[in-house]
Amino acid sequence: MNNRIVDHPVLGQIDQKRKVTFQFDGKTYEGFENDTIASALLAHGVRTLRKHEESGNPRGIYCNIGHCFECRVTVDGEDNVRACLTPIQENMVVESGQVQPHPLDPSKEGVKPRTYAEYKEQEGQK
Amino acid sequence: MKDTIVCRCEEVTLQELEETARKYNSSARELKLLTRAGMGFCGGRTCRQAVDKVLTDITGEDPTNELPLKVAPPVRPLSLTDLGGLAKDE
Repeated sequence: MNNRIVDHPVLGQIDQKRKVTFQFDGKTYEGFENDTIASALLAHGVRTLRKHEESGNPRGIYCNIGHCFECRVTVDGEDNVRACLTPIQENMVVESGQVQPHPLDPSKEGVKPRTYAEYKEQEGQK
Repeated sequence: MKDTIVCRCEEVTLQELEETARKYNSSARELKLLTRAGMGFCGGRTCRQAVDKVLTDITGEDPTNELPLKVAPPVRPLSLTDLGGLAKDE
């Protein structure tokens, strides 16, 4: 599956740059050097980079110039990295954002510390 | 047309904005506080003009003379954990 324009009428042939392999949600993908995460995944037809934290709607590239943050992913454990600006590196592990528990969700009552004492006690437990 | 999403981050539809603006005759800031349009992750960059336009259509208020829904610091989204959240109290 390769959505790339390999022979552009103006830009010419895509020269065979060095291949870089990276991981997205457990699957391995391959892109060229200096590809951004978003473009490398787009080349493989992967458009859903994350799910909306509340409604779960699939989200992906929107502005592609780094100011809308729709393409935010977790890279090597670091959150809120913009996939449209971050070039891929060898063995980079990228994870897509999933639906988050609702902050006002009563069923999660016990989990979040509501007072400083609870926070200290929870922190103590860690 | 009415269920077009105006604010992508908070998924606020055009209908909600119009209803809220009509019901409370709200200013740009009030509309933001009531519907969360413009409060999302992108800091209002995507939907600010659209929200202002919806408001101008309904309440005739020209957003330039009101307190603008400007992009305020922090310019990049920052999580409380980055600011030293749980277990980072050294």
